[in-house]
Amino acid sequence: MSKREVFDSRLGAALLLLPTIVVSFLFLYYPAALAVRTSFFDSTFGRSDEFIGIENYVSLATDPGYRFSLAITVLFGLLVVAGVMVFSLYVTFLIHEVDYGESVYLISAIWPYALPPAVAALVFTFIIHPTLGVLTGPIESLGFAVDWFNTGWQAFVVITVAAIWKQIGYNVIFMVAAMNNIPEALTETAELDGVSGLRRLISIYIPIMSPTLFFLVIINTIYAFFSTFAFVDLMTGGGPSSSTNILIFDLYQEGFSFFNFGMASTKSVLLFIIVGILMYIQFQLTEEYSHYGA
Amino acid sequence: MAGILQYPKRWIRTTRRRTDAFFSTAGIERIGVHVQLVVLVSLVLFPIVVAAVVSTKGVGIVTSVSDLLPGSYAAENYREALVDYNFGRFMLNSLVMSVVIVVGKLAVSVLAAMAIVYYRVPYKDLVFLFILFTLMLPVPVRFVPLFQLINDLGWGNTLLAITVPYIASATTVFILRQHFLSIPSSIVENAKIDGIGPVKFMLYVLIPMSKGVLVGVSIIMFVFAWNQYLWPLIIIDSQANQVAQVGLALLEGDVQSGELAWALVMAGSMLTLLPPLLLMIVFRKPLLNTFSIQQK
Repeated sequence: MSKREVFDSRLGAALLLLPTIVVSFLFLYYPAALAVRTSFFDSTFGRSDEFIGIENYVSLATDPGYRFSLAITVLFGLLVVAGVMVFSLYVTFLIHEVDYGESVYLISAIWPYALPPAVAALVFTFIIHPTLGVLTGPIESLGFAVDWFNTGWQAFVVITVAAIWKQIGYNVIFMVAAMNNIPEALTETAELDGVSGLRRLISIYIPIMSPTLFFLVIINTIYAFFSTFAFVDLMTGGGPSSSTNILIFDLYQEGFSFFNFGMASTKSVLLFIIVGILMYIQFQLTEEYSHYGA
Repeated sequence: MAGILQYPKRWIRTTRRRTDAFFSTAGIERIGVHVQLVVLVSLVLFPIVVAAVVSTKGVGIVTSVSDLLPGSYAAENYREALVDYNFGRFMLNSLVMSVVIVVGKLAVSVLAAMAIVYYRVPYKDLVFLFILFTLMLPVPVRFVPLFQLINDLGWGNTLLAITVPYIASATTVFILRQHFLSIPSSIVENAKIDGIGPVKFMLYVLIPMSKGVLVGVSIIMFVFAWNQYLWPLIIIDSQANQVAQVGLALLEGDVQSGELAWALVMAGSMLTLLPPLLLMIVFRKPLLNTFSIQQK
């Protein structure tokens, strides 16, 4: 038993834990449990709920629209996680290598941590606006028509890039901390052995940093699945023709545009299961590959 | 300890710098690192610089890079956004919401983390897991029933609706727990020998020894609260009670119906970015330290 456990009043401990437990139960567990229950009902405004068993689940399983949403969400998640981590890792490496000006570069790279997704969405909408955007002219001068208000894949690319941009700061914060923990002696040895910059990053730093990198994969996945609503809502509204209708936006529309509470709850439960599976896979991978840091 | 570790590092770096001639390959490599960094960091800064510049212009049209000179409408645009388009009100609502969430979360989480670290009671690991598992239950997996629950409580459209559901925090409890575990147990044992009760222990030992972390988690919680978008959008339907994030969407709506210039939307965006950004820059040290605790 830990030497820190100096108090043993059960009543005292219960009182200290009570506020967190009550709020967690009432506003987190209870609504989540209700969502599971509602997912078996046909439920909307103005009439009583009707129990329909797994009908909602069956109709989603066979709904091509929902499958499409699922597919683009997974693609979106993969691109966001990969994009943000590759970019952030390289910037972190350069900041680690640079001889002076470190703190200026660092602040310039981590500030998007404070960036609200809604602001990121609007700023991006503006700079790449098909008629007004400052980037639109230069891109079109390369012979490429910017038309993401009407072209599905372009809209998808634009929200992906905006979502990556917002998440860079958070990643660089953790990567810099992890890279600074690598003993300088290791870098010195590698340099003496003639291991050059990029190879040092790939074959020495990345393996050592792998616990942090796995942590970030999980955090970034949660971000891509749950915290990117504002991008879709403000930039594309899920369109054009559903090409940016990621699960979180689809779910919101089901509940609060169409008021199909039963179906929306089914989608909530499925989203929870999907993210649960992803996190389980990632934890398994973490167990397998990240022994270097210990 | 840190000094000992850092000294040779700095020493090695200066000697390295001295021995490299300016035009040697190592010198060129060093310049290359700067060039790459400037390019990449500029990419990260570019969108927000454009937004800042446009927010000072008379019309929000920037079709070429030469349009990227600051305009002279800054005062006017920001005044218009704050006063005529109610952004002052939205900002105030966001501020109240964020401060209430930070204070509430901090109070509740300090208590919980203290129980988890300093009390010898059964099932506390289970309770800790119960708290941690809420990470898997973000707003989207429960928002339909939560919406109904909040309305049943009569909280729709109120400050309670956008604060109380956020008060329980797995992240904050986790960070505080990690920090409490790093406080030397000898200090705790001394406190026990002196016969200090839990209230005094918290006020005179725990909190004074956790100042940096408390500041750090407060910034993390503030940024999180300030940036909330989906939940206020659903649960607040009167403009007077709306928060800045959703206020931005209202501003943008006005733009698309042609009543307003993008310059105003960018002014609103800059206003919405400023509070979390300033806090982050001012308190970057405790913030970065706190992040390094979270990772352990």
